[in-house]
Amino acid sequence: MNPVALTDFPFLSLVLWLPLAGTLLCLLLRHSPGACRWLSLLTTLAVLLLCVWLFIELPHAAGWLLQEDQPWIPSFGIRYSLSLDGISLLLVTLTALLQVGAVLISWKQRQHPALFYALVLVMETGIIGVFLATDLILFYLFWELMLIPMLFLIGIWGHGNRVYAALKFFFFTLAGSLFMLLALISLYLIHGEQTGVYSFALEALKNTSLTPTTEMLLYLGFMLAFVVKVPLFPFHTWLPDAHTEAPAAGSVDLAGLLLKTGIYGMIRFAFPFFPHAAQQSLPFLAILALIGIFYAAWIAYVQTDIKRVIAYSSVSHMGFVILGLSAWNQLAWEGSLLLMIGHGVTTGALFIMIAMLQDRTGSRDLRVLGGMWKSLPFFSAFFLLFSLASLGLPGLANFAGEILVLLGSFTRFPLLAAFAVAGVVFSAAYMLRLVQGVLWGPLGQLCKIGDKDCLHADLDRREWLLLIPLALLVVWLGLYPAPVLAPLSGPISLLLKGGGLP
Amino acid sequence: MDSRLLFLLILLPLTGGVFNACFGCRLPRALVALLAIGAIVGSFGVTLLCWPLAAEGTQVTLFTWLASAGLKADIGLFFDPLAATMTLMVTGVASLIHIYAAGYMEHEEDQARFFALLNLFVCAMLCIILADNLLLLFLGWEGVGVCSYGLIGFWYAKSENALAGRKAFIVTRIGDLFFTIALLWLFSLLGTVNIAEINQRATELDPVLLTPLVLLLLGGACGKSAQFPLMTWLPDAMAGPTPVSALIHAATMVTAGVYLLCRLFPLVSLSATGMAVIAAVGALTALYAASCAVAQREIKRVLAYSTMSQIGYMFLAVGVGSVAAAIDHLLVHAFFKALLFMGAGALIHLAGGENDIYKMGGLKQKSPLLFWLFLIGILCLAGAPLSGGFFSMAAIVFAAFTRGDGFLACLWGIGVFTAGLTSFYSFRLLYLVFFGSYRGKKTAHRLSPLLIWTLPPLALFGLFGGLFNLPHFYGGHELLGAWLGSTPAKELPLVTELGLLVLMSLFFVAGWLPAHLLYRNFEVEAESSWRRFLLQGWRFDALYEWLVLRPYRFTARFCFIAGDKGLIDGVVEGLGRTLLHWGGYMRQLATGQLSFYLQGFAWGLLLMVGWLLLKAVV
Amino acid sequence: MIVPFEHLLVLASLLFFLGLMAVLVRRNLIMILIGVEIMLNAAGLVLVGASALWQQVDGQVLVIFLMALTSAEVSISLAMVVYLNHRKQTVDVRAFNELRG
Repeated sequence: MNPVALTDFPFLSLVLWLPLAGTLLCLLLRHSPGACRWLSLLTTLAVLLLCVWLFIELPHAAGWLLQEDQPWIPSFGIRYSLSLDGISLLLVTLTALLQVGAVLISWKQRQHPALFYALVLVMETGIIGVFLATDLILFYLFWELMLIPMLFLIGIWGHGNRVYAALKFFFFTLAGSLFMLLALISLYLIHGEQTGVYSFALEALKNTSLTPTTEMLLYLGFMLAFVVKVPLFPFHTWLPDAHTEAPAAGSVDLAGLLLKTGIYGMIRFAFPFFPHAAQQSLPFLAILALIGIFYAAWIAYVQTDIKRVIAYSSVSHMGFVILGLSAWNQLAWEGSLLLMIGHGVTTGALFIMIAMLQDRTGSRDLRVLGGMWKSLPFFSAFFLLFSLASLGLPGLANFAGEILVLLGSFTRFPLLAAFAVAGVVFSAAYMLRLVQGVLWGPLGQLCKIGDKDCLHADLDRREWLLLIPLALLVVWLGLYPAPVLAPLSGPISLLLKGGGLP
Repeated sequence: MDSRLLFLLILLPLTGGVFNACFGCRLPRALVALLAIGAIVGSFGVTLLCWPLAAEGTQVTLFTWLASAGLKADIGLFFDPLAATMTLMVTGVASLIHIYAAGYMEHEEDQARFFALLNLFVCAMLCIILADNLLLLFLGWEGVGVCSYGLIGFWYAKSENALAGRKAFIVTRIGDLFFTIALLWLFSLLGTVNIAEINQRATELDPVLLTPLVLLLLGGACGKSAQFPLMTWLPDAMAGPTPVSALIHAATMVTAGVYLLCRLFPLVSLSATGMAVIAAVGALTALYAASCAVAQREIKRVLAYSTMSQIGYMFLAVGVGSVAAAIDHLLVHAFFKALLFMGAGALIHLAGGENDIYKMGGLKQKSPLLFWLFLIGILCLAGAPLSGGFFSMAAIVFAAFTRGDGFLACLWGIGVFTAGLTSFYSFRLLYLVFFGSYRGKKTAHRLSPLLIWTLPPLALFGLFGGLFNLPHFYGGHELLGAWLGSTPAKELPLVTELGLLVLMSLFFVAGWLPAHLLYRNFEVEAESSWRRFLLQGWRFDALYEWLVLRPYRFTARFCFIAGDKGLIDGVVEGLGRTLLHWGGYMRQLATGQLSFYLQGFAWGLLLMVGWLLLKAVV
Repeated sequence: MIVPFEHLLVLASLLFFLGLMAVLVRRNLIMILIGVEIMLNAAGLVLVGASALWQQVDGQVLVIFLMALTSAEVSISLAMVVYLNHRKQTVDVRAFNELRG
């Protein structure tokens, strides 16, 4: 394969805008839900195939693998620039994968199906855009673009307290990102004054020289947007509500992807722009991350809603990711990113399974569920597998990332890392409580009401199709993560150096 | 011979397990069992085939599992005498137990799940034994934990079973926490997770750090091996099917802790304090568990506590520096304890599913063969002179005595005393089950021949297992010790050695006599608070409930209600409410009356004009 | 110029304030519209005067625009008044407060 041919063709734009094209078609075809469904499935599949192809074909180099750059609003120095390196490649592929899952799990969407699929596709464009954009304005645009479909997904198709959850989610993240907007404009102006070149480009802004105070302020502005999205303790309370009320596709996207954009923003923008401030903040980040790990694991232990358990477990896992980042070494960073991928897959899969469970039983309450293995053995086997992966069982997806994070961070913060290991025990506590509540024990109260309803149908063909690849992926990531680590190591070592290690 | 053959050891059970898990429910029952048995027996055959590879220590790598900046963890095996011995024992015992299980579970549902988990368990256990690095060992370590979790809760429809599984998993995971920290620490100090390298370079470590490291490793070993203070899960784990108890909670998994300490013995032995603590933990647990076993009523719980106690002896052996004695006892114990558990399973069938030994009795008449086999197990457990258990236990006690300073002498005393207790509860069990008249009401189930005929090989190995490592004193050659390459035990003066021997025999008799008198013709036993205290394992469960679980739940609830709902959401929603409040005031400005707005314009205009005029004048 | 510009300005401001007062004080929609017209004409007057003063044609052009605009505006607003009257049988502005916050 000829690398020149790859760079000439605007693959990135194709990946980015294909879902949006799907959206428009969806809206045109809004009177035939079936067509919309297939259309969105085909679109997401096409994006996935393209991403997988890129993943296989692109070399594992340290720098950018693909770039596109066009002037967009020249008078302000805003450019349409997309770039892809190993990190974004993985995250884009993960996005494409989970979106297929999100479409498949909403296959039976009855309420405004066209609009629903259209929004899911818009979200895909938004998230992929965040992972690709290297112009700050473009990045900001996609950053906000992600919010809107999610707001509607939660607000229109959500469960019970959906408006509260949607608004909470929206305001939390919007409040954070406004600080980022402020900071990025200041950065733009400062850089412009210093060099005379007004530009929002990542590469240009990296070299701005700032006084320590300004640097810290701007860094905090950026970080506020990112830690809210991650979410880091104590900015996490939007997540459980949003997760609980969101429809299945929304939960999958939230947990699997939206949370990752925060981490991505940190390593792509906040750390390289403000290396000194970043170094100063690392111990605080580590401590907040540790608190988050414990705090969320504790809270997850007393939840009765399955989705809330998983939501808090996400907060806990993201704590591990941040802990890895704050250790600032190759091992921990590779672990953090691997954990992100692993968490995306396992948590995405768990939310998908919860949606299946809710389809069948109509409940997500641990107090009334139980004994599912009896009626749904295959479903339960998958559920157990993903739960075990989520609690960090070696050989499954999350462990590889977690252990790398722990190994890496132990060299920098031995005490914190040692405590973080305890978080693993806590995660066993809440995950097994979840498994106990759903799979084991006598058939739950739910079943005593009407016994006939208890014989639920086990997985149908669509569900098998959805779960098998995810299960294989979980095992693959756990046992042979080398293909995923390979594209990561180059960019990470660049970022660690470029991030201004003393 | 191609050393990659060694991977078959792991891959055979793995394939069997995965295959049964995926397709087992579509296959006929017999085929499921046959596949599972075939996988394990195959593994056993491979072990025999590969035996010559062990003498030199063979290292073989399949592929790199995790590699990143300085870390390199392979899926790699290390087959040395220690590993080979363990592998042979595990695959051998597992083969017999699989065959036994085929008979035991023939009428149960979900056979595929059972055998899949059992196969996967063997695979994970072999991972522990054969791993050439700590990460792979950890994979096996957690893998056996999960399989044990699934198998304890095999009859999941009863919540207690599933809860027992969960308890086992979480308590052992608390131990794993320490093991993980030790792993992280070792990596950050030495930059490697390879076991052989760690052992080689252990002397480079700062002696100050050694003791905490060894203690952390001990913590991990304690969790898995149910030693004090993480022992509460083992008795509850008896909720699982009997073959599971025999395989996992008697012969193999629970000895993983001992194996870990032996594997890392070059490191462990460097810390004198650490060794002393290991010995103390072992001796204390041996005593504690034996005392609990005295009062147990369920047959499997007696055996569970006895397992705990025997593993305590192994820890004691490691602690006094005698790996050979520890491994010898581990092997012999695996054989006779598997025998006892499998026998117990058969007895429960004979008693119509009754667990309570107070409701058994007189079973000798029902199956004399079973009685003789069980008797062999009991003799080994009690340490009857010249049985396998006697030699291996005596070796440990001797080792404690010979290396002894004041502290170890104390532990030696505990060890000898516990031997007496062991003899007492073993014979109590024997008498209660086999002698007297049948006290139960249930009728016997049919015994599958598989349940009986898998026992004799184990009985044979249990009985003559002591010959593996027979000390020179008895004309043996310490074969096992030489094979493992450990230093031979110090020669003692003849008188001392004889004296110790007689002492051990005396304690055996001292345990047997009261049991004989009390339980030979047993009718009923009076309740007493002491007995209840021992029955409940010194109430450690209640203690942990108060000390750990309640505070944990309280903190969890506190965090949720006061932290998340109260503080964080309170601040956020408070902010929102304040804004709404002020918005309410602002709203009143929008009257909807055009003239009101225009008035605003007019006043504004007036103000501007006035301002301009003022400026013009000034 | 036959009239001093200052006089013209005074007249225009008087007219403007008269119009403004009419808009602010009157409740009748028609009277308010008349007030608006008076204000517009006051502005036109200033424009014409300024145009004459500086001998520039721009002001007059603007006034022509203004007149066209005013006539259009009046026709639309009167139509709306008729419509509003039809809706609520009154032309009192107090009746139309749907935008109240």
